[in-house]
Amino acid sequence: MARRLRGFTLSDQAVGVLFMVPFVLTALFFMVYPIVEAVRMAFFSYNPLRPDLSAFVGLSNFSYIFDDQLFWTSFWQATVWTSFSIVFQTLFGVAIALLLHQALPGIAIFRGLLLFPYIVPTVVIALIWRWIFNPEIGIVNYALLAGGVISERIYWLSTPEMAMASTIMLNVWKYTPFVVICVLARLQSVPLELYDAAKVDGAGVVRRFIDVTLPQLREVLIVVVVFRTIWTFNKFEEIYLLTKGGPGTSTFNLAVYAFEQSIANLKLGVGAATGVIMMIMLSIGSVIYLRSAGFAREETHG
Amino acid sequence: MEVSLEAINKSFGSVRVLKDVSLHFPSRKFVTLLGPSGCGKTTLLRMIAGLETVDSGLIRFGDKVVNQLAPRDRNIAMVFQSYALYPQMSVRQNLAYGLRVRGTPKAARAEAVERVARILEIENLLERRPAQLSGGQRQRVALGRAMVRKPDIFLMDEPLSNLDARLRITMRAELRRFHLDLGATTVYVTHDQLEAMTMSDHVAVMNSGMVQQFGTPAEVYGRPANLFVAGFIGSPPMNLMPGRIEAENGVPVFANEQSRVPLRHLTQRLQVGQHVVLGARPQDLHLASSTDEASAHGRVWVVELVGSEKLVDIDLGGKRRIAVQVRADAHVREDDPVHVRIDPAQVHVFDASTERRVFEAA
Repeated sequence: MARRLRGFTLSDQAVGVLFMVPFVLTALFFMVYPIVEAVRMAFFSYNPLRPDLSAFVGLSNFSYIFDDQLFWTSFWQATVWTSFSIVFQTLFGVAIALLLHQALPGIAIFRGLLLFPYIVPTVVIALIWRWIFNPEIGIVNYALLAGGVISERIYWLSTPEMAMASTIMLNVWKYTPFVVICVLARLQSVPLELYDAAKVDGAGVVRRFIDVTLPQLREVLIVVVVFRTIWTFNKFEEIYLLTKGGPGTSTFNLAVYAFEQSIANLKLGVGAATGVIMMIMLSIGSVIYLRSAGFAREETHG
Repeated sequence: MEVSLEAINKSFGSVRVLKDVSLHFPSRKFVTLLGPSGCGKTTLLRMIAGLETVDSGLIRFGDKVVNQLAPRDRNIAMVFQSYALYPQMSVRQNLAYGLRVRGTPKAARAEAVERVARILEIENLLERRPAQLSGGQRQRVALGRAMVRKPDIFLMDEPLSNLDARLRITMRAELRRFHLDLGATTVYVTHDQLEAMTMSDHVAVMNSGMVQQFGTPAEVYGRPANLFVAGFIGSPPMNLMPGRIEAENGVPVFANEQSRVPLRHLTQRLQVGQHVVLGARPQDLHLASSTDEASAHGRVWVVELVGSEKLVDIDLGGKRRIAVQVRADAHVREDDPVHVRIDPAQVHVFDASTERRVFEAA
């Protein structure tokens, strides 16, 4: 069918294409182009102060990275940071979602409050947490000392292990609500008759959780874990704002490593190559996880 | 196992959903709770299952009060409207779940599943997931899951409502046969009077949280206890006409502006001046050829062909209409003047204020 439009006649298909043009253009300019440019730059040496010296260097950016001890340290730390963050977010997220799923008076208030950490800008959170973790005047140390839990101050951000733990805590605190919201939404769509059937079949509380609730949450948890892993592994601002990657390099992850290489060392090519490596690793990881979790073999309906 | 309900009450918030319900279901009978949505029938069933608490009253299985027992300790099985099969489990696992949870040994479990699968003819489906089954197959698996533990009492919550009309008719007969073969007491909830009439030994007609009538399908249909049952049971619905009792030669006569019906058999039971409602099923009314034997006169408003019958809607004047069922080959056309013969032996009389049936003298 054709449409008349001020004298022009456009087919439905043409109208459809026309509607897509703005998105395709912005996506090309803001997503595809930077990625292509980053991949290209990974094969060049580029110092922003001396652009005239830019030259194709083949794979030497990558060999530089693989020879760099700091890259491997950052990679390991990123893995630790991501794993702990994801595990705790998922556990807390599911637990809190189960609590909030109870039909108690006033529970809606708590469901609303839950969004708070998620909507406050990371900069604000990181600055507040720096105060909270301040060893001299921070409230955490004060509370723990006053409560008698610890006898001497903990240097939250200035000893390597505690700095790592602090960044993990920040990430868990900020993104647990995301898990809660996803899980809660799914919980609310679990058919109640399934629980009744399980009760009649003789299943107790624990069995009902294992045999009814968990299988229903499986798909949403797979999606949540994949997305959270990608986002956490790539995360830059939380670590940089809280610890600047320190003390020393003890909280470097690959994003901070790439930033340091590009901005501090002015090796943009090396930074770009790091980004390419991260992209490849996450793609492979996601595919393996989705396959092994059986997400690809969707059940046939009907 | 017989089931007794004694003065059951239940409220959700300020809404009283069950009001002093007392019922007795004889052992091994197929009993149906029938009523419109919101009448409390499903709540009552869930109470028998133990899924809903009782505000006051007693539930007995045999002599034993089960009010405080959890569903798992009542030896009941339930078939749900949505079937409620565990989606991640195969048919075999679904069937075996109740046994597995109760710690039945593996060999006994496998044997029980095979037996049930054989009876229901679903042996070839055992490795499938519920999502890979058709509606009718899911229905059978749900039945199988209920059968596998050999329960004393079967509870069914509108199990046919998700099937298409054709399958519903075959499943009706199958359910009735399963019930006879299994020898358990079956309590069945439905809003479909046809299901209730065809399958049940006894029907409890419910409305607004109260039992309106409890009896065999024939009793409920033939001698409705009150106006609600009269209007709810039967298709097409019963004609209900308000009027007053007048006397004529010592015989009470139902009279209103459109019709007069002598009620000789109710002489002892009716008073002159009493306000009553006269009920007559379309099947029990006839078109008369002459004026003298007719009880009402009118004009054909609309004729509907329903298979082997025609349903004739007749306008009696005064905004009152009456439906008469005639054979499909009868010659009736819209706007024809007609006479309706009301057989006094076939009518139901209800007191207008109490809405209860005026029973014939015993």
